[in-house]
Amino acid sequence: MSRKKSKTYRLLQFTRITSQLVFFTLFFILLLQTRFPGKDYIGEVEIFFHFDPLLALTTYLASHLIFNLFLLSVITLIVTLLVGRVFCGWVCPLGAIHQFSSFVFKKLKWLKTKTKSTFSPKLWKYYLLFFLLISSFLTLDLVGFFDPFSFLYRSFITGILPALTLVFSALISLFYQLHLFTIGDSLVQFSENLGINTVFLQALGLSLLFLFVLLLNLKKERFWCRYVCPLGALLGLFARWNRLKIKIDEEKCIKCNLCTFECETDAIPYPPEKWTITECVYCFTCSAICPTGAITFPFKLSPQRTAMVNLSRRQLLVSSLLGALAVPFFRLSPDRHRASAKRIRPPGALPEEKFLRKCVKCGECLKVCPTNGLQPALTEAGPEGIWTPILVPRIGHCEYYCTLCSQVCPTGAIQELRVEDKATIKIGTAWIDKNRCIPWKIGEPCIVCEEHCPVSPKAIQLVETQVRQPDGLLKTQRAPFINLEQCTGCGICENKCPVVDEPAIYVTSVGETRSESNRVLLETLATGGDPY
Amino acid sequence: MKRRTFIKNLTWGGLSLSLPPLIMGHPLIKEQSPATAPLVAIVQGDSPSELVTTAINALGGMSQFISRGDIVVVKPNIGWDRTPQQAACTNPEVVATVVKLCLEAGAKEVKVLDNPCNPARRTYARSGIASAAKAAGAKVSFPNPHRLKKIPLHGDWLKEWEVYTDFIEADKLINVPVAKHHSLSRVTLGMKNWLGALGGNRNQLHQKLDYAMVDLASFFKPALSILDAYRLLWRNGPQGGRLSDVKLVKTLIASQDYTAVDALGASLFEIPPEELTFLRLAHQKGRGEIYREKMKIVEKKI
Repeated sequence: MSRKKSKTYRLLQFTRITSQLVFFTLFFILLLQTRFPGKDYIGEVEIFFHFDPLLALTTYLASHLIFNLFLLSVITLIVTLLVGRVFCGWVCPLGAIHQFSSFVFKKLKWLKTKTKSTFSPKLWKYYLLFFLLISSFLTLDLVGFFDPFSFLYRSFITGILPALTLVFSALISLFYQLHLFTIGDSLVQFSENLGINTVFLQALGLSLLFLFVLLLNLKKERFWCRYVCPLGALLGLFARWNRLKIKIDEEKCIKCNLCTFECETDAIPYPPEKWTITECVYCFTCSAICPTGAITFPFKLSPQRTAMVNLSRRQLLVSSLLGALAVPFFRLSPDRHRASAKRIRPPGALPEEKFLRKCVKCGECLKVCPTNGLQPALTEAGPEGIWTPILVPRIGHCEYYCTLCSQVCPTGAIQELRVEDKATIKIGTAWIDKNRCIPWKIGEPCIVCEEHCPVSPKAIQLVETQVRQPDGLLKTQRAPFINLEQCTGCGICENKCPVVDEPAIYVTSVGETRSESNRVLLETLATGGDPY
Repeated sequence: MKRRTFIKNLTWGGLSLSLPPLIMGHPLIKEQSPATAPLVAIVQGDSPSELVTTAINALGGMSQFISRGDIVVVKPNIGWDRTPQQAACTNPEVVATVVKLCLEAGAKEVKVLDNPCNPARRTYARSGIASAAKAAGAKVSFPNPHRLKKIPLHGDWLKEWEVYTDFIEADKLINVPVAKHHSLSRVTLGMKNWLGALGGNRNQLHQKLDYAMVDLASFFKPALSILDAYRLLWRNGPQGGRLSDVKLVKTLIASQDYTAVDALGASLFEIPPEELTFLRLAHQKGRGEIYREKMKIVEKKI
């Protein structure tokens, strides 16, 4: 009997690592491409999301709508039905990060795998999945907090990329200090071309969360994939009937248990009757490391009975119930009843209730925003709206001819806009703080808000006004007035106001097109005419 | 070499070096007496690039302003996220032709940059200037925060400000503004265009904008000013928006004297130059001519 490792599976393992690398690179390139492309319309940079059946399902449940774009996620499901959770093992970029960091931790001997712990809550993710599905069905869409793509993109967009950019910028400064100006200049142009937004509210918190999830791999390899990932759970349920089954050659097997010991998920290759089809991600580590090459994964046309996770009916019921119970608790915030001033949504955003049912908090809009003005909300939109996008004009305004955020939104929470339609959408209204405005308060000339107003005719008009001076005398100065009908709420006035700390002109959400109640002006109905 | 020949060479060499200023008049003396009428070209025609070539030829060719081996910075207005038809930024064809002429005159390098009001990546692309200037051979770059330095401007009012050093390190500056309406300075032409060379909280300058414009213009002192009035933004400036805010004037004004260019530019808006504070100030300080009758004007129609 030969005692040889399987060369085929070694090769397959290598192919799997290559595949992970390719998909991670693809993810990273698409992420970097999520920026103003030099023309009005951007390509399908958010394509990864469309392969995510969890987002498809929850968004469908929450908004009761089916989207063509999510048809791609059917591919993922079919692949899973045929060959199991290869998506987790071969494609998922977050899975790749977890596997790689687990590998590193293992090599550094930080991972304590020696003691066989009984800690194995692999059912968590299924309960989480049921929780999310039920709450989605009852219109509370919390999937954005746990979906692997949302989590990955959000963490990279608000934390990791900005931090890398700052490090890069510090490196560039070093070149300038060493008087290597040509290198410095070209690096700056390279960096400017990438257009990475570096200012984010909650950047530290979101980065720490990502770090924490990464560090969980110290406890167990691929902790997230094993115990948390609701997408993995969904695919696991579909993998149940797949055709790739483990086969252990009893003659070759020396019962060393190395496969089970090294298994990166909780699939338990040995003994074969314990192998759990829903947990295996087909990384082929077990078949590659088996000292006698006893483990194979033959493709069988007829499904065979195999072990599946032992989901307790009671636990599923409890988690589903919790999902249902969560709905009212998330709805106690005042934002449901009355619009908050700072909740300025991107142009094209659906009415708030519908928006919250669709937004998956992925951060694509935050990435593509050319001014960095879109920011993850914390308290502005209630507990459901944490990390949903809001415009913070003080950080960046909404560029008049830009509709990029609406184009990259993977779920249509921000409805795709044509550039020519953008001007018809109001996201808020500007107000003047006459107590701080330079012409209004001290009678000196300043037209900065008017000058930057992109609307034609301008929503900010300068009108000669008499201003009382501190000496009691009146001075005539042209001071800004706002035409509420013209103002789109883009916020460039707030952004450029020379009174920088607390701008003398500011935007609030009132007047937004998407809301019927958050209004100042009563618009005449389309049928028109004065009834009296 | 004999001592005698050395002394002879030294004398002749020294004399020949000192002669040109004596013959041609010392540059300092020349500047202080603006008695000589500045030469200004006003050209009208259908093609923006032909307007530039004709105007520059009328002024004696680009080699009058650019020397061989010069590093030239061309400063267009790329301030706004608008298309050329909206006339909020300089016409891209005009910029490209200026770049081309500089390179033909032997410039070592031509840089094109501006610090815009809207995000640079958008304004550079949508104004059409980046691609046109690049195609003409210019080095187009985004304003570089590492090149922003607080510089003493020695102005009468504006003492110092953050300036992109590209503008200071250049051998020659060519100002290529676009003619637009502006609600504070009434019009924005060449002198106002220099705000685009600044960083920092430049919006504060609006409290004394006319003074800032005069000080900035005399600090940067362009070798040549070319005012693009092919499309003129006559209202709702400095951005416009509607195509009805734009008038097709098909004119270009160029001169070494930047105040003369702005003064004639103002007349396109039917504003007498002395009505504009910044021009009146600049003229009082002897920075250039603003009265049409005291200029040597070459008018051409293509």
